[in-house]
Amino acid sequence: MGMNQPSALEHILITTKVEKVMNWSRATSVWPVTFGLACCAIEMMAAGASRFDFDRFGAGIFRASPRQADLMIIAGTVTYKMAPIIKTLYDQMPEPKWVMAMGSCATAGGPFDSYHTIQGVDKVIPVDVYIPGCPPRPEAFIYGFLKLQDKIMTSSLADRYKDIFEEVG
Amino acid sequence: MSEPNTPPVPEVPEAPAGPYVYDYKAAPFRQIAMPKTVPLPSRQTYLAEQKAAAEADEAKWQKMLADYEVAKTKAEAEGKDAPKAPVRPVPRKDDNDLKTPVPEEAKDADLLKLQTLLGDKVEEIFEQAGELVCQVKKEAILEALTLCREDAALKYEMLADQSATHYPAAKDFAFSVVYHLTSISRRKRLRLRILVPEGFVPESACPLYPSANWMEREIYDMLGIRFANHPDMTRILCPEDWEGYPLRKDYPTVGWGQRDISFREDRSGMLERIALQKAGQLGINLKQPKAD
Repeated sequence: MGMNQPSALEHILITTKVEKVMNWSRATSVWPVTFGLACCAIEMMAAGASRFDFDRFGAGIFRASPRQADLMIIAGTVTYKMAPIIKTLYDQMPEPKWVMAMGSCATAGGPFDSYHTIQGVDKVIPVDVYIPGCPPRPEAFIYGFLKLQDKIMTSSLADRYKDIFEEVG
Repeated sequence: MSEPNTPPVPEVPEAPAGPYVYDYKAAPFRQIAMPKTVPLPSRQTYLAEQKAAAEADEAKWQKMLADYEVAKTKAEAEGKDAPKAPVRPVPRKDDNDLKTPVPEEAKDADLLKLQTLLGDKVEEIFEQAGELVCQVKKEAILEALTLCREDAALKYEMLADQSATHYPAAKDFAFSVVYHLTSISRRKRLRLRILVPEGFVPESACPLYPSANWMEREIYDMLGIRFANHPDMTRILCPEDWEGYPLRKDYPTVGWGQRDISFREDRSGMLERIALQKAGQLGINLKQPKAD
């Protein structure tokens, strides 16, 4: 029996890492929190509706409570007054959690270079995926979500530990 | 020759050695260009402008005539031909498409009735583009609003909008507060206006029109005009601890540094403050007792 031939045992068993299984389960059942700030939220809803069907990727269940959600989609302009509320919601989400900044406002303030707008939501909470566009089309949103799934699949528990406990500067 | 009203150019500080931080104080949006005119629609101002323009035209014509006389006598003395007599320039036809509508004399019965009822408390009435405007004295605004609402011939039941504008170039006032009234039963609209200086506290319209509540709060939030007898004179759009009034002309577009605060590390203590406030509402003491 050569080395390339699967053994009789491998015909009935799959060997993998626990980490990979966890990542796979996390990436394919990301539950976003129901949270929209401005016009980008309309595109987010469109992505969730039947035409684009965000549920194909296991992420169609928008939870009404941050305590049941894994993903926070910042869809819209982040104002100075809204920032502490976003921070509170983010803190209420259980680990592991991810954030997508949707549109140019949430990414960098967008056209609102003015006194009331936070210049990018990354000044408030850490962001995993930035989606450009004003607003991004549902295709762009889905592409950004696929990138997030890639990120989740390639992440390791050690990275997460590093993020939380050994954050630099 | 330098203009006296040019804002001073701020000195650009040296680039910091550490990580790059956007300096809002040196940013171009930080510089403020204050307006030099008072674009307040008014028939009195319009008439004064027209009169001044006519006088300037007349003075120019008189100067042309005098110059002609001097040139004529000089030519006669020297034995030359007399110069051409000046021709008075025809006033150019106005291009009405590009001009704002002229404030016309008030002919509407509502405005005339308001003037007879209020007497000398009315500063000015005029019509502009078919819209009725009545400017009253700032102390008499509540009386005027009561009349508009209660009088059987006026019956303006609804306060559709209330807004204010900052006029920093004006000498005897700083803000105009405008009340847009709508009569649903008579299908008419009327605009009441007061001019208030800085620090003046006009009467609130809340007892008459409950819809004035949030609009007056917005005016206070954006321009800093407080209203007397208002049930809840607090900010409505900006956070409660905001500094400055954003719709004033001297307020920079990027604010006074509020954007510099990093919520991510809660350097401002804002989250902690909100937590303490919420805990106080629930009757929980989150503050640790200090050990003496």
